[in-house]
Amino acid sequence: MSTTLHVIAHSPFGDERLSSCLRLLGADDSLLLCGEAVQALRSGTAPQAQLRDARLQGRLFALSEDLEARDLADTLAERVDYPGFVDLTLRHDKVNTWL
Amino acid sequence: MSHSLLIISRQAPGSGLGAREALDIALAGGAFDLPLGMLFLDDGVFQLLDRQRPAHLEQKRLAANLQALPLFGVEQLYACAASLASRGLADETLALPVETLDDAGLRALLARFDQVMTL
Repeated sequence: MSTTLHVIAHSPFGDERLSSCLRLLGADDSLLLCGEAVQALRSGTAPQAQLRDARLQGRLFALSEDLEARDLADTLAERVDYPGFVDLTLRHDKVNTWL
Repeated sequence: MSHSLLIISRQAPGSGLGAREALDIALAGGAFDLPLGMLFLDDGVFQLLDRQRPAHLEQKRLAANLQALPLFGVEQLYACAASLASRGLADETLALPVETLDDAGLRALLARFDQVMTL
């Protein structure tokens, strides 16, 4: 059994990547949101509720500069910088980027 | 021992090059005896429809190439049950002998492979 870091960079609005990723996400897998995907953390939205319901404490991450660039004050995801991103890739057996 | 690779194909055949590129990777890997699996997810399950006539869009028929997968040794073929059901394809005859997986099956599948790529 090997663990996966899932990376999504697309906005969750009108897109299935986030929903399908949550379907595939194993108990020891993590999810990193970057680029427009951080919009999933905007409060009061359906994607944010979906993420909250998935109970990903300690397994949900967002790239800090992408949050700041979009004025997102999020508390659901753990903020990481680029070295943190690299560290996450090393802490998992494989990385699945949702192109 | 080569690393096993799971290819997740999630684009419809008529929506750009993603579906064909995923298939090309699978066929190339199969030709080199890599342990490969292929999962059809989201709109990717539309690739499995047997009776498509893409000549109307001046495209080639993808299903014919898909059927080459077992010949290239790619026999671990899966489809997401929820993706099929939400697209009205649950009872459709498919162009390939795929195993349909529920959510628990999908998670187990992903954990089983060394590497994974999504197109």
